[in-house]
Amino acid sequence: MKIKKDEIIWLILFITPAISLFLLFFIIPILFLFITSFTNWDGISADFVGLKNYAKLLNNKTFIRSIINNLYWCLTAAFITVPLALIIALLLAHRSRGWKVFRTILFIPQVVSSAAIALLWLALYNSEYGLVNYLLDYIGLSEYKDHNWLGSIRTAQPALIAFSLCYVGYFMVIMLAKTAGISEEYYDAATIDGASQFQKDLHITAPLIKSAFFLCIILAVIFNLRQFEFVYLMTNGGPANRTSVLVLYIWKELSIQRLGLGNAAGVIMIVIGAILLIIMRKILKSETYN
Amino acid sequence: MKIDLSTNLYFYFKWIIIISFVLYAIFPFLWLILASLKTNAELLDDPFKLPEVFQFKNYTEAIEAAGLIQLIINSLIISSSATFLNVLVSSMCAFAIARHIFWGNNVLFLMISSGILIPLNALIIPYYAIINYLHLYDTRTGLILVYCAVGLPVSTFILTEFFKSIPKEIEEASTLDGCNFVSRYFRIMLPLAIPGLMTAGTFQFILCWNEFIYAMLLTSSTEIRTIQFGISYFTNQFFSDYVGMFAALVVSILPSITVFILFQERVITGLTAGSVKG
Repeated sequence: MKIKKDEIIWLILFITPAISLFLLFFIIPILFLFITSFTNWDGISADFVGLKNYAKLLNNKTFIRSIINNLYWCLTAAFITVPLALIIALLLAHRSRGWKVFRTILFIPQVVSSAAIALLWLALYNSEYGLVNYLLDYIGLSEYKDHNWLGSIRTAQPALIAFSLCYVGYFMVIMLAKTAGISEEYYDAATIDGASQFQKDLHITAPLIKSAFFLCIILAVIFNLRQFEFVYLMTNGGPANRTSVLVLYIWKELSIQRLGLGNAAGVIMIVIGAILLIIMRKILKSETYN
Repeated sequence: MKIDLSTNLYFYFKWIIIISFVLYAIFPFLWLILASLKTNAELLDDPFKLPEVFQFKNYTEAIEAAGLIQLIINSLIISSSATFLNVLVSSMCAFAIARHIFWGNNVLFLMISSGILIPLNALIIPYYAIINYLHLYDTRTGLILVYCAVGLPVSTFILTEFFKSIPKEIEEASTLDGCNFVSRYFRIMLPLAIPGLMTAGTFQFILCWNEFIYAMLLTSSTEIRTIQFGISYFTNQFFSDYVGMFAALVVSILPSITVFILFQERVITGLTAGSVKG
């Protein structure tokens, strides 16, 4: 609709709140982050130090570890969680009896806060009363009876990532929603040609939900770049900073008032996010056209 | 004959996969509820066995010890105010950019929705500085403002798409009947957009309710602490009273799960809407 002259003032009034919030919490913080990343700002004074913060970060073992761990989270989600979600979505797409119940149950971890999930899994991994060790002992792996999963350098990171598989439901729901739009005719035609259920899933359903699958991979990577709560509450980066992630690193810099350095880490995190997005778009675009 | 065998195998494969993931998702919660009804001695003795007597007093004690009522009330106040404010602000903006052609309406839309892709947790130090600068540290207002802003891109995106899908004729007819800008928004478009508002609102409410890092970053006093931030104190508050902690955890999880089961279609569309269209 074309805007009338006397209504311009209302139009401006309507977009002002959103624009001011966007300026205050998106544009200004990003500019601020970028500018202060070249200073040794500690909350009181700030001097320009050039690229020193970046040099410091790239020589810092914990920081590099945090980046690697973040990538570890992202890749696990993209290459294990999302493909598993695809399999479940293909199976539930048959809409056999009770599929809604299964969908609901699989989605539950998504509506529970990550803080609560973190505490729950902390209890499951507990070496005194936790369920994980009890079950392993029960099936005969008694060497794990008193194993401290999150406390030992060897198993802390895998143990943290293993439980993130419970988020399979979210991606499954996105892909499952896409299958609802597939016309029955495709399946009927395939049945006449004598295709088995497996062939139908593989050759009809899977290609038609490809776009949702790619979307899930992008979401999985974005979510896991932001990873904080689980690591903070379950290991706080330990043992020996082995499980630290980027946001936790920034958080720790904030708590000792090395704000300039923390912001340089923030800039690197945003850049990594942008690079990952560009790479994924490139790969997924060429995939879609092939 | 061969086809029959493979079909059967596929059938079993399907159910094994589905059942094992369902167990993986739900079993921890069931175990948590069971464990919260035991005594500490029973839990340490055998984490799997049913308790002799169900210890419902764990719950009354835990609610008392963790101050759960206060935490839940705080979360309700903060989440609902932030949701209301967020939906109001983003629907006004969405109405302006979806229903009117003016210079920059597409630029504005792209700019705000690109915020979805920014990893906002990288900005915790600037947020901390801005909230301090505005003298809003450790206030409900500060947290509400941040939550409202964080959800702005997704809500504006969902609502703009929704407003665009409403037929133009309705609005044109109302203009002829003498409706001005403001009454077109309040009387015509908002009632038509209720499903979209509900979707955006659900998404926003769950985002606020489950949020952790900003609550920890921007508040410190116990009076305004939200439930999710409160959870992180459980390990200290209950120390070696494991069953008490479990009971508190169950109480803090139950509202989300109950609301989800009651309104599951709405919640599922809400949580996936922003992504499915994008």
